[in-house]
Amino acid sequence: MDSSWLQHADPNQARDLTVEAAQVLGISRGLKGGSSGRTISFTKLKALLDSRSDRELLEGLRRVISMMYQNKPCLPYFSSVVKNVANPNLEVKKLVYLYLLHYAEADPDLALLSVNAIQKSLTDQNPQVRALALRTMSGMRVPVISQIVSLAIKRGVGDMSPHVRKAAALAIPKCYSLDPNTLPQLLDYLSILLGDRQYFVVGPAVQAFLEICPDRIDLIHKHYRSLVKKLVDMDEWSQLATLRLLLFYSRRCFPRRTRRVTKVNKKGFYEDERDETVETNEVIQVLDPDLELFLNACRPLLRSRSSAVVTSVTSCFLYLGTPEYLEEGVGPLIGLLRGPPEVEEVALCNIVLISLSAPDLFVPYASHFFLRAHDRPQVWRLKVELLTVIFPHAALHLKSIILSELEHFAHSSDIELIRESVRAIGRCAQSDPQNAHRCFRVLLNQISSFDNILVSEVLTVVRHLIQQEPASHRKTVVRLARNLDRTTSPEARATIIWLVGEFASLDPDNNIAPDVLRILAKGFADESETAKQQIVLLAAKVYLLFLQREGAHASDEKDNAGELQGGEAQSAQTSAILDHRISKLWNYIQLLARYDVSYDLRDRARLFKALLADPQSTQLAALLLLAPKPVPHSPSPSESRKGLVLGSTTLVLGKDVVGILGLPGYQELPAWVEDGHEPDPKLRDAAEGGEKEEYVPLNARKTATVAASRRLDAAVKEQGLEKVVAAGSTRAHGKQRTLDDWLAESEEEEEGSDEGETEEGESEEEESEEEDSEEESEEEEEEEEEEEEEEKAMRKGLMS
Amino acid sequence: MSVAVDALYIFDDHHNCVLEHVYNGRPPSAQTLISSFTSRPLPRPSILQLSDLAPPVTAYSISHAALLLVATSSKDAQSLAILDFLYRLVDVFEDFLGCPLLANKIEDNYEIVAQLLVEMCDGGTVCNTEPNALRESVEVSSVLGKLFTQVGLPGSSPALGPAHNFSSTLRPTVTPTTGPAIPWRKSNVRHTSNELYVDIVESLAVVFAPSGRPLSARSHGSIAFTAKISGVPDLLLTLAAPGGTNSDKNSEILRTVQLPVFHPCVRLARWKDSPGELSFVPPDGRFMLAGYETDLMPSSLNTDQPPSKSDKLFLPATVDLRPGLGASGTEFEARLTLNTNFPGVSSMGKSSTSRSGSGPISSLSFGGGSSGHSHAPSLEAIMVTIPFPGDVRSVTELKPSRGEANFNTFDKVIEWKVPTKDGASINGVATLTGTVAGPLASADAEDDQFEAAEVGKSNTMAGYYEDDTVANRSEKQQTTVNGNNGATKKAHANRALMPRSIAVSFNVKGWLASGIKVDGLVVDVKKSKGLGDGVRPYKGVKYLTVSRQGVERRVS
Repeated sequence: MDSSWLQHADPNQARDLTVEAAQVLGISRGLKGGSSGRTISFTKLKALLDSRSDRELLEGLRRVISMMYQNKPCLPYFSSVVKNVANPNLEVKKLVYLYLLHYAEADPDLALLSVNAIQKSLTDQNPQVRALALRTMSGMRVPVISQIVSLAIKRGVGDMSPHVRKAAALAIPKCYSLDPNTLPQLLDYLSILLGDRQYFVVGPAVQAFLEICPDRIDLIHKHYRSLVKKLVDMDEWSQLATLRLLLFYSRRCFPRRTRRVTKVNKKGFYEDERDETVETNEVIQVLDPDLELFLNACRPLLRSRSSAVVTSVTSCFLYLGTPEYLEEGVGPLIGLLRGPPEVEEVALCNIVLISLSAPDLFVPYASHFFLRAHDRPQVWRLKVELLTVIFPHAALHLKSIILSELEHFAHSSDIELIRESVRAIGRCAQSDPQNAHRCFRVLLNQISSFDNILVSEVLTVVRHLIQQEPASHRKTVVRLARNLDRTTSPEARATIIWLVGEFASLDPDNNIAPDVLRILAKGFADESETAKQQIVLLAAKVYLLFLQREGAHASDEKDNAGELQGGEAQSAQTSAILDHRISKLWNYIQLLARYDVSYDLRDRARLFKALLADPQSTQLAALLLLAPKPVPHSPSPSESRKGLVLGSTTLVLGKDVVGILGLPGYQELPAWVEDGHEPDPKLRDAAEGGEKEEYVPLNARKTATVAASRRLDAAVKEQGLEKVVAAGSTRAHGKQRTLDDWLAESEEEEEGSDEGETEEGESEEEESEEEDSEEESEEEEEEEEEEEEEEKAMRKGLMS
Repeated sequence: MSVAVDALYIFDDHHNCVLEHVYNGRPPSAQTLISSFTSRPLPRPSILQLSDLAPPVTAYSISHAALLLVATSSKDAQSLAILDFLYRLVDVFEDFLGCPLLANKIEDNYEIVAQLLVEMCDGGTVCNTEPNALRESVEVSSVLGKLFTQVGLPGSSPALGPAHNFSSTLRPTVTPTTGPAIPWRKSNVRHTSNELYVDIVESLAVVFAPSGRPLSARSHGSIAFTAKISGVPDLLLTLAAPGGTNSDKNSEILRTVQLPVFHPCVRLARWKDSPGELSFVPPDGRFMLAGYETDLMPSSLNTDQPPSKSDKLFLPATVDLRPGLGASGTEFEARLTLNTNFPGVSSMGKSSTSRSGSGPISSLSFGGGSSGHSHAPSLEAIMVTIPFPGDVRSVTELKPSRGEANFNTFDKVIEWKVPTKDGASINGVATLTGTVAGPLASADAEDDQFEAAEVGKSNTMAGYYEDDTVANRSEKQQTTVNGNNGATKKAHANRALMPRSIAVSFNVKGWLASGIKVDGLVVDVKKSKGLGDGVRPYKGVKYLTVSRQGVERRVS
């Protein structure tokens, strides 16, 4: 964000850039020609590195670092570089550390030699040196030293200087990735650091927490309030981590409570007439005081210069807070659109997501969503979507502007943009039925355009809209049919004809289909093939409907006339049908199609002829021709992203790119904890005012384990399983036992026990058997191990 | 999980790798990354999932001054955070290596770059991005060289190599303090000349409907602050918005400075209590103090009634375009209207023809106190941009009444530059005419009998948007009109070649679109520390309004 401002700030930058680039280019060219080129021979560089003069040494190290970044081989210098690790000069030290970080993995054995010297630096007087050493040691990718690193972190955690403590916090995830088995120790360190007084130690500690154990919210309870308090002071990166941590924490610890709004009805003038409290149906969310504390602490962060922080705060408001909070977050989110194009694009993704659930909040900012001529496709797509999302909530004037805007871009030269804006108009009509007629008028005006892409897109959208709500669009179809005179695009004509046919079945008594067919029949020869196909189809439908109607008539009459004259009546009816205008029209169209040049058309005509050959049996034809069509639904394009977590990369990419589970590490938001299942709120009180007192993690853990074991005891007593447990524990002590012994013992127990408990005893027996077999297998494993060890010993002996 | 950067790459404009730094895991090499990256179609989104690479990675990229910066992550991350990190990286690099960030500067200072990268992001966890804090832990060996480049002496550019600057590196390192009192300001700042500069830059984003009425009009402001002052100063910057009397000053400020964001140093409580007052302890050097936006729209669009009268919105340059002129409808005329009668500027400034403030810095001191000393705002660098559809083959017979115009056949854009320093009066109207040539194979004259229907202006309130048509035409009328319309398909085809928008870019020095003024900048002597007695820092203010194709007019 900053740099974009800088760009604006300096209008001459572009010129400066070119001038300076030319300058620098000239200089470097001069350099390459001259003798002081950048390349230096191996021996010369080695001599520099071995030099006793700090100045030469630094020069050598600089060259090595440069070569490292130029991807030139620097491994040969390893020993020469690393032996300088104990150099007291801080500058030298830094460069050596840089080298070590880069190459330690390539030569772990040599790197190990340097560990001693680095360890010494951990006790240096200068805190900067201590922090550097800690960072370097944890950053070397040599898994062997994980324990040493762990110890170093332990020392760092207790350091006087907050800088070193910060380095310790940052080293924790690195140590974890070196060796995940160090986790228990690391958790101890982490719980100390989370309670640190300095906000810039706590921040990295939270980052480390999210990295290694995001689910251990039991570590957070004590520090919840101090974290909330420190939130404002932290740097942006720590704020981000803390916001995320607290978002997840709040979801798990504060059940969602709601209450009905009560309204006090003042009844009368006199005091003895009581006020009446009435529960209304309005439900509002009640916030836990601790949660409210957090949300209020977030508020100032909405003014942060970091776009990520603003988005994070908004997501907290969205997922935790009441609508009032969210409303506050919307403005700053819109403010992100001022940022550079990359930020604008991602911010729009997030805005669209929120707008899907709360579109009305974005109406005041509608002018931010108007397209610019130089917007990139990713950006205008989202902007068009936003315009359609807010459309139903906008006032009339704004609605007309949005429509005009979309209409304007429907005439653009970019096919994608045309398509998108026409679809957008369709979505507007869909989401706002009251104003749908306007959208329709805009769409219908495009039909006679010469732009085929536009017309076919418009008709597709119109067709979808009509199909969704056929009943209310009778007039529209009539209008469309009228447009046939002016429409030239073959696809457009075909679509209109199809729509007319589809509508004929909806309202058979009162439809225009036969008339349209009559007119179309006149110009049949001049139509395009797709249109001809649709005309034949229309003719078939019209004829079928006619037959069905006549059939219904006939059956009515038949009931009246009795069965004797049945055969006569039928033949009379058939001739009546054949004489009817519609039958004649059908025959005429068939004739036309039969002699058409297209074999496809001829085939179709033949099919329909066969289907409708017998006027009496129309069922099969009805099944084929009048089948109900699935209603197409056109959701907002981002609808598929609904439910993805705000601010995440998975949201930006969409699930169709990254797969159903999202990117690795993507976490769905945890569901609200159910009322009654949340951790005790008193846990958070424990550290109240405890910022000063030392936090003792070990004790806490002990009490926790005691509590757990006690609870277990109680449970055991309740279940009456003491004996089982006892048996298990004795078994654990007695080592050498066979299955037979076990069986004998359990039998004894069974005998001793009451009759009612026999079932239990049996199950117990089964259990114990299983356990026993497990034990046996373990024993076997042990034996195997022993064998292996023997083998190893053998080998060693051989080798020696 | 929150922000985890696996690796960072910087490429130059030929996609050669300038820098590759691995933070965590086993990210792909720069070569494989860039080949996969460039295989994606243009324009590329800023976040790409490169699933064809061996460990699939997500690439976050920004481009800055001919450099492409890419950060990769194999896990889900907060998308904006990584983009933020990249921008912060650019800031820090520019702070340490000199302002236009170039590939050469990075290549020549790898040891500084390496230290910065390790300091800013520790093992993939972003931790320290404050330039001032980084100054304390990263040694800049070529301080002298940097100084000289800033002054503008080419000879001592850092490109000459570090060997020349050794004397400066061997100075004793500053002993770091045990805990930073202020995270964004380094300790022990000393300056011989104490200076404070405020640069307020506003960037216009205005869209006009074809009718000429504004659709959206905003001005995006940012306040850049340069503090070169010793010790730990406590500053108070007071902003004033136009039109506000003393009583409703606060509301005016809140209306003018919308959706602000602030540098962490700004005391938010103070701003909340008395808007317009920025109280802060600045970092050393140049930084972005605040950002804001101003809505310049005269009235809200979100009403049920169409605005009755035409609304006024002052802009120094506006554009209009009439398409489809001439016998065959292939000609167009663009009009540029310039107006330097800036509102809110004293008449003295208006009448003075000689603009003394033509230098790059028109700073003013607060000595006099009043803003009447302001130089007349100067309008510069005017360029009109007309983008054409892709089908347009060329645009010929370009005739500008002032300046010069070129058609760029690659981008299909006309760029028309109008000089403002030729001595003549700037105000007035300039025109540009031209003829558009479409694709060669456009002769499919078949369906001439079908009449072209003029696009109907159907919705009831479209009068605001498009002026020249009757707003509420009934359906019947429309059909009859359409029947008589003589336009042929050919004309329609030509119409499709006409530009759909026209935009103008310019700079105005000494004027802000929002009308914001710096009312005062005070060093609070009681709260400040380390600033010597009687030291009165020099204070300068600069206003600049820019439009980067920011004033745009739709063409019907």
